[in-house]
Amino acid sequence: MVSLARKNLLHDRIRFAITLAGVAFAVTLVLVQVGLFLGLLDKSTVTIENSSADIWIVAKNTPNVDFGNPFPETVFLRARGVRGVERADNAIVQFVNLQLPSGATENALVYGLSDPTFWKLPWKVEAGRAEDLSRGYNLIMDRSATLRFGAFDVGDYRELGGRRFRIIGRSAEAESFTTTPIVFMNFSNAQSLLGQLSGQTTYVLVKVAKGFDPAEVAGRLRPMFPYNNVHTRSEWAAASRGYWIESTGLGMSMGVTVFLGILVGVVIVAQTLYTSAVENIRQFGTVKAIGGSNWDIYRILGEQALIAAVFGFLLGAGASYAVRPAMASLHLTVLLTPQFSGVVFIGTVTMCLAAALFSFRRVALIDPALVFRG
Amino acid sequence: MKKVLEARIVRKTFEEGSQRVEVLRGVSLDVSAGEIVSLEGPSGSGKTTLLSIMGCILTPSAGEIHISGERISGNDNALRDARRKSIGFVFQQFNLFPALTARENIIYALGIKGHKGARALVEADRVLDAVGLADRKGFLPRDLSGGQKQRVAIARALAGSPDVILADEPTANLDSAVGVQILDLFRDLAKSENKGLIVVTHDPKVRRIADRVAGIADGLLLQEAHAA
Repeated sequence: MVSLARKNLLHDRIRFAITLAGVAFAVTLVLVQVGLFLGLLDKSTVTIENSSADIWIVAKNTPNVDFGNPFPETVFLRARGVRGVERADNAIVQFVNLQLPSGATENALVYGLSDPTFWKLPWKVEAGRAEDLSRGYNLIMDRSATLRFGAFDVGDYRELGGRRFRIIGRSAEAESFTTTPIVFMNFSNAQSLLGQLSGQTTYVLVKVAKGFDPAEVAGRLRPMFPYNNVHTRSEWAAASRGYWIESTGLGMSMGVTVFLGILVGVVIVAQTLYTSAVENIRQFGTVKAIGGSNWDIYRILGEQALIAAVFGFLLGAGASYAVRPAMASLHLTVLLTPQFSGVVFIGTVTMCLAAALFSFRRVALIDPALVFRG
Repeated sequence: MKKVLEARIVRKTFEEGSQRVEVLRGVSLDVSAGEIVSLEGPSGSGKTTLLSIMGCILTPSAGEIHISGERISGNDNALRDARRKSIGFVFQQFNLFPALTARENIIYALGIKGHKGARALVEADRVLDAVGLADRKGFLPRDLSGGQKQRVAIARALAGSPDVILADEPTANLDSAVGVQILDLFRDLAKSENKGLIVVTHDPKVRRIADRVAGIADGLLLQEAHAA
């Protein structure tokens, strides 16, 4: 059967272009804004997701991985004795002052580990070797630090907490949510650098033995450490993300952006479809007069909404994917996963069909006898 | 001859606020297969309302409509929708879909009537050939003259072989010469395809092709006469 919906849309190309632009704008707004947000959130858990630790033991009420609180360093010894634990080690995550060659002072986020290679912190080393961190006052700095600290080379020295460290390597992908550059070093160096952490740690990383379920092992650890929280990797990542979403208002801000994007889309699609329905009222009357029902007309409007949704989404998604390299050059990650894109597509279709509902009521009232009027 | 459409003592009252306007006051009219009836009357006499009721577009306040012998109940909207598919309509304003070509206009109407696929294509080509527009199938309405548009509208009304065609002022927007051509086409098709045809008109030329002339004024059928 000939598609009157499609033909009518293409017949009025300017209106169709406006509709597509409206949908594409809404889609781009949602994809880029939420993609940026997800990219940012991804950074908040990047060390949790990439480390080999299956379980993190943290001080009670530690809100997220960047804000570690101290607790006795002996906890890891007790954790090692639990069935299903292959290995447990201390780890320190703390902010430290870093002196730049220019004389300026900046913050660095120190990750101190007794065996960085085993714990895969860092997990991607572009230059140098993580094994060498234990040989003196050495550190590996993430390449993203260039943005805040300026250019650096392997072999350079930087002063952290009043102590000179040699940069023995460069990592990649280790970017924090707060944009504070991450540096990796040996646990004992980190502990001695942070005098207040003498005899303390901020995390115990636990590797679960093969064949054991991390959730089950975490369940065994929890009663042993009433003054700590024990999280599996996914729990700890969710808690860290949740902190930034809920405590900073970012979640609300994103919610408002998504709402506005949807509102813009609905208004534009509803407006263009409604105007089109009113202008084509004689055509719809003819459809009814020649035997069509209200459902035939709803189908026309629904199909038009669907076409606007599909092509508007493709345009918007294309634009969103296209801006990613430009955003990346500004060190901004627009995280667009197929799942997220799928959700936005379904949302776009729903939005456009909802917008078409405004026109349904108008066309339902059409008197087919209008076709006899001159 | 077999009656294909019949209105029996039809009344229609419209309510406008507190006012009741009785547009039809017990009108009976029928048309048989192959017969052409010209329904004439001044503006506001109720002829278009009668046509709308006979075409199952409006519901009568009282009275009965029979299509090919089947009584159409006033309250059964689904039945009226379905029966409307077995009636061909030709409108004064043509009412073609501007985004569809001549052929697509017919295929779309056939689709609504339940004819799809290759069968619809063949039928569309048949009726376009019948109205002499075989070489204009791919033209959009904007590229057709007034007479050609009305021919497409007639072809659309013929598509699917309805028993009856209802035409509302089909020559009103055409110049005199083209109007005559269209009326001749109506006559030829009604006779060759054995369709019942009711033409609502002010145009005296319609009498030339009509088998019967019915006059209506103030909601009453005044007289019926066999055309000369």
